Amino acid sequence: MPPASPAIPPKRLLPSKEASLFREVLNLYESKQLKKGLKAADQILKKFPEHGETVCMKGLILTHMGKREEGLELVKKGVRLDLTSHICWHVFGLIQKGEKNYDEALKSYTQALRFDKENLNILRDAAHLQTQLRIYDGLLDTRHTILKLRPSLRQNWLALAVAYHLNGNLTEAKKVLDQYEYILKNVTDYDVEHSEVMLYHVRILEDLGEHAAALSLLDTNAKSRAIVDRTAIMEFRARLLSKLGSTDEAEHAWRALIERNGDNYDYFRGFLRNKEINLDCLTNDNRLEALNVLRDFSAQIPRAAAPRRLALTVATGDDFTELVKTYLVSAITKGIPSLFADIKALYRDPEKQQVVEDIVEELRESLASSQPANADEPPTTYLWTLYFLAQHHSFLSRPARALSLLDLAFQHTPTLPELHTCKARILKHAGDLYGAARCLETARLLDGQDRFLNTKCAKYRLRAGLIDEASEILGLFTKKDAVTPGADLEDMQSLLYLIEEGDAHNRNHHFGLALKKYTAVQKIFDEIDDDQYDFHGYSLRKFTVNIYFSLIAWENKLRSHPAYVSAALASSRIWVAVHDDPSLAAPSTSSSSLDEKKAKKKARKAAIKMQEGTKKIPPTSNEDKALEPPPVKDEDPDGSKLLASPDALELAAKFLSPVVALVKDNLDVWIATYDVAIRRKKYLQAVQALDHARRLSPEHPELHIRTIDLRQRVSSLPQVPPAPIGQVLTEFVSSILSDETSLETFNSQYLQKHTSSAAAVLAAAKVLRKLDASREEVEVVLFTALRTDVQLDIRTALVIISFLGDIQSPRQDEFRAACDSKFESSTIFKPSNELEVLRKEATKGNIAEEADKVEVVG
Amino acid sequence: MNVRPARVDDLSGMQACNLQNLPENYTMKYYLYHILTWPSLSYVAEDHKGRIVGYILGKMEEEIGPDDPPHGHVTSISVLRSYRRLGLAKKLMIQSQEAMATIYRASYVSLHVRKSNRAALGLYRDTLGFTNNGIEKKYYADGEDAYAMKLPLQP
Repeated sequence: MPPASPAIPPKRLLPSKEASLFREVLNLYESKQLKKGLKAADQILKKFPEHGETVCMKGLILTHMGKREEGLELVKKGVRLDLTSHICWHVFGLIQKGEKNYDEALKSYTQALRFDKENLNILRDAAHLQTQLRIYDGLLDTRHTILKLRPSLRQNWLALAVAYHLNGNLTEAKKVLDQYEYILKNVTDYDVEHSEVMLYHVRILEDLGEHAAALSLLDTNAKSRAIVDRTAIMEFRARLLSKLGSTDEAEHAWRALIERNGDNYDYFRGFLRNKEINLDCLTNDNRLEALNVLRDFSAQIPRAAAPRRLALTVATGDDFTELVKTYLVSAITKGIPSLFADIKALYRDPEKQQVVEDIVEELRESLASSQPANADEPPTTYLWTLYFLAQHHSFLSRPARALSLLDLAFQHTPTLPELHTCKARILKHAGDLYGAARCLETARLLDGQDRFLNTKCAKYRLRAGLIDEASEILGLFTKKDAVTPGADLEDMQSLLYLIEEGDAHNRNHHFGLALKKYTAVQKIFDEIDDDQYDFHGYSLRKFTVNIYFSLIAWENKLRSHPAYVSAALASSRIWVAVHDDPSLAAPSTSSSSLDEKKAKKKARKAAIKMQEGTKKIPPTSNEDKALEPPPVKDEDPDGSKLLASPDALELAAKFLSPVVALVKDNLDVWIATYDVAIRRKKYLQAVQALDHARRLSPEHPELHIRTIDLRQRVSSLPQVPPAPIGQVLTEFVSSILSDETSLETFNSQYLQKHTSSAAAVLAAAKVLRKLDASREEVEVVLFTALRTDVQLDIRTALVIISFLGDIQSPRQDEFRAACDSKFESSTIFKPSNELEVLRKEATKGNIAEEADKVEVVG
Repeated sequence: MNVRPARVDDLSGMQACNLQNLPENYTMKYYLYHILTWPSLSYVAEDHKGRIVGYILGKMEEEIGPDDPPHGHVTSISVLRSYRRLGLAKKLMIQSQEAMATIYRASYVSLHVRKSNRAALGLYRDTLGFTNNGIEKKYYADGEDAYAMKLPLQP
């Protein structure tokens, strides 16, 4: 369609009085005099109610004034009244952008540009939208246009280079920078912006492989002080010299960096790589050389910890024993709490693990014999020795030994919070969640001002299912005016809290409330995705383009974050379960749901309070903010609508889809994707997901269940799906499970192959159930998980118990009791009346009255 | 622990570390604003697995009076309790200060601390060498006063 003729359409023309009024409307809007603007617009509309541009402007002003619905209606009406006005389309685009509807906003801006090709405001916004949507070829055109219109503005040159770069065309980006520097005048001293551009230029040269040119540009500009970031200069130099093979100069450069920051591991790696030593795969030839380098640095820069620690990774045999002894004794004497976390990375080598154990056990023995400590030994050394050993033995699955060491430590000093957090972790691993929570309460009481202990305490309560009790604790550090502690943490984007509380609800079978937390995680990632929008323009204005590229790269893979993945997996499992058994979403009537009712009631109350809270927030004056829709009232505080949503599978697919694109090596993701896809009848996607899963772990129990599931579903299809999908589907099924093999045989073969894996036993039992085996038969299989030759962990044991419940097995308590004696220190398998007692104890700290008065050893 | 300049993909770990340690918290946008405005002023400490165990979030003061020289400001600094006594806070602070002085010619660095936060006060004053430069009444949203602290930087 050809662009509209330049002649102004008659219906847009206003008599001179109204025309000047309209200009006033625009000015008043720009200066945010909204009421006056509205009045002027109304004045025009009285005579010309069909004037599209005025209708749009009135709509825009009303939206700013909080009358969103009315405003939006007017804007849409205005656009319809004047389809060839750039003002109408611009206003429409602004509104859509405010709603984060970037796709539609860009369409409106594109329309606006058809009728006003050289409007810089619209072009700039369009460029930002194109970047947000990663439409890089369109971005390049827009940046060209902007530069042509305003070549005198420095940032427009940079913006074009960035656009080329985003398109993967570094050569053109370099040319643009060359031209820009050629015409550049009047750079003042210490111009940080110019410095950033020159660093960017060096970086492009490096990325293009033009290392010599990069180095020379860097050196010239560092010398003239055009580049002012010394750390960046030195890092670039060292890297470029290494790449150029200027070994001596490079060594010098890496050494300079190490002297500047002796705790940066990258610098040591760089220094060694320059000597052709790769720390990640040392040979016997260069191990000693590496060790000598690190020893020299340790001597020269005593305050630097990195070379001493790296030496432990590198050294072997007697060298290691000598070095690690000094390292351990020095850290224990200083009372460094992270020592074990630091050292355990060395345990991949069993020899090193044994050496460490021998040294510290020996130290403990010598200190124990001299208790109370002699004068030249600080009394805390013994304590930190016990602390280290407790963690060591716990890590190596010797909880009893670890706990007895801690008991010695408690006798020595009952008031060190670290000892209690350590005990809590041991109990947690051993399956005593209430005991673990109680230990953390003790730790917390010993240092009530410390939020770290507070957070840990709440986390342990959530792990024990004590959700209200966790909230009480969290509230000690959240904002006092927050509706609930959780609401503040959600506002502050605490992923840890949302995941932990979501999981706690999930374990308590409060699926709606769990989904609320998981979708809150999803929302946070949407927010962070939106956050980048402002920086598409901002970074260019500030010239901070080097870091800007990292922003783009990070946002591209944002949703591979473990919290997002975990929320997506947990939600999709819930939605799939509800799809298979809609009664899960029905309001439960059993007496055991008293708890749930309480939780739901609380959620509803909080939502009401939240609504009252938002009323108090004054309308913001910021333009962009004002165009964003206000927070909507939460119509589903307990998540029951979310749980019973008719689009549950679609919601699950949407939640999962970014993960599928980003995380390829996670079997759970492929299994969840299959579960959702097969129910949505997306057969191709389902087959691909299983194929990926097979390549990751062909014998995985979850995969076994799905293999059977797929065959069952395919054979019960009333007709084969149309080509080519149907063929792909049937061929895939036969390739993983031959047509001649019966499902019963396939399952029993699988079980025979994996008798010693509890997860496999469970999978085989679940399949048996699906194949309509008798309950007794299923029980017999499940009970083999208790045999001594089977690796059974607590988590799997709990799933088995819950599955026994699902099949209404009379043997559930029998299995539970067997687990209770199998997992000695656990309490999780106790009968419910005993658990009730423990639960009450879990929030009570266990410190002697006088403990608060004692100075905390610290 | 590895002490190095902060990158964009560290921000999530920094935010988590901050939420676990301190009562003053910020949304991601604020972290992004810092690192995209002053990309060289923030540092992190990470463990062997790449988990952020300490950070400093630094900036240059934007609103300065006519007689006030350019100076840096520490928006937030903290180290997980389980990684204390390694001198990480000091190492992070030194790197950030050095960058403030060389890149932006900052003549001093300032920070705020809650009057009631004795532990932090001890760190800033005794370990990092800050001096108390007066009280800012009701600096925090909940009405608590803050100590304004300062540390001169070598030119």
